[in-house]
Amino acid sequence: MWGPMSPTPPALPAPDRTLDASGLLCPLPILRTAAAVKELAQGAVLLVLATDPGIASDMPLWCRAMRHEHLATFRDGATWKSYVRARGRGAAPAGRP
Amino acid sequence: MAPRGKAIGMISGGLDSTLALALVRAQGVEVKAINFYTGFCITETQRRKGGRPDGTVPANEALRAAADLDVEIEYVDISGPAYLDMILAPRYGYGANANPCVDCRIFMMRRAREIMEREGADFVFTGEVLGQRPKSQRRDTLRVIERDAGLEGRLVRPLSARLLPETIPERDGLLDRARLLDLSGRSRLRQMALARELGLTSWPQPAGGCCFLTDEAFGAKFFDLLDGRAAAGEGRHLDNDDVVRLTAGRHFRLAPAVKLIVGRTEAENRVLEAYAGGRALLAAAVHAGPVALLEGSPGPEERRLAAAIVARYGKGKDLDSVEIEWREPDGVVERFAIPPLRDEALIERLRIPSGGGAR
Repeated sequence: MWGPMSPTPPALPAPDRTLDASGLLCPLPILRTAAAVKELAQGAVLLVLATDPGIASDMPLWCRAMRHEHLATFRDGATWKSYVRARGRGAAPAGRP
Repeated sequence: MAPRGKAIGMISGGLDSTLALALVRAQGVEVKAINFYTGFCITETQRRKGGRPDGTVPANEALRAAADLDVEIEYVDISGPAYLDMILAPRYGYGANANPCVDCRIFMMRRAREIMEREGADFVFTGEVLGQRPKSQRRDTLRVIERDAGLEGRLVRPLSARLLPETIPERDGLLDRARLLDLSGRSRLRQMALARELGLTSWPQPAGGCCFLTDEAFGAKFFDLLDGRAAAGEGRHLDNDDVVRLTAGRHFRLAPAVKLIVGRTEAENRVLEAYAGGRALLAAAVHAGPVALLEGSPGPEERRLAAAIVARYGKGKDLDSVEIEWREPDGVVERFAIPPLRDEALIERLRIPSGGGAR
């Protein structure tokens, strides 16, 4: 996982969709991300832009809980960028005992 | 093995709700966790300001718990006008501060019931413990909350279930009542022992609640805001941006309908600038210092006081005079020099709550 403290981002795929959550306070960027990912096909990549630094810890945790692939979250100037690969509908639902 | 039914778990990420989740899942029930965003979360406010006073940045505990337990989680945004209306006029009244805990629980559980129905789930559960909180977790109150939320028989409190009436999922065999608990009261010793048994290794320490509405200083600011608006003839109203402003800065009541908010940190200054919402912005023109917001229509005396307070909290506080920039929402900018206010007794009288507050 590419963490928020890393100095430069790794090579990342071109996003299939970009969600601009700038100006929203956490956890609202995660709420918007959850809605956006539902509309993505399995394997599609979402780029989330945010200004609340809470996304740096929220996004990896949310992806782990929802079994999405967290590709990277890093700061780029005043904006946080977070790359998520959607799990899609074909995967097993989370929460099974 | 196919799951024995499905449940919606109201999860904060604290020890009690995490244990409740573990108990329900251990009985083979599929769980979907939900967590509510109210706008009044102390932890979220600390995070957006860059962390706690000691420099640590708290994690979002609900997300952490869901990730650690591999449970699907849905954030539910209830911070809209209906929630704020409930806070302004709670049917069951306030607790010690601005906390309408019973009405808030009912509000949340109604949403949980809707999600239960949408998901085709069988019941809702929480980490509530009988008698743990003075008002919202009394036996009679738990019953009222369940009834008013429309969840009669379908609301399970796994940690206290054996002390409460049998629920529908217990009666129908989805849950074995004997494997639920009989906890009551404020002690957490049994919870901690159970957590160790279940292999749960981390949970947040209880820190006096995570909701601003239960905080004494916040409550004073909350009611002062409503009183100020009533004094201005606006009626007692509140919106989401008001909530953000209530969580930032030092607050001063300069006149019945004139209020000043002074940022304490760079992060609070940024919040106040972003949430000025048509209010005048004040700051020292030359010296470093706070950004301040002024709500209402100040007269000459309130203008002087506001500027002097802003000067008092900046780097020029020891100077004879500090130049203040006063930016009106219509773009008009005025600069004038003013001596910093050094009458600490007056500052404390103007401060909300009177005498100051920690947050």
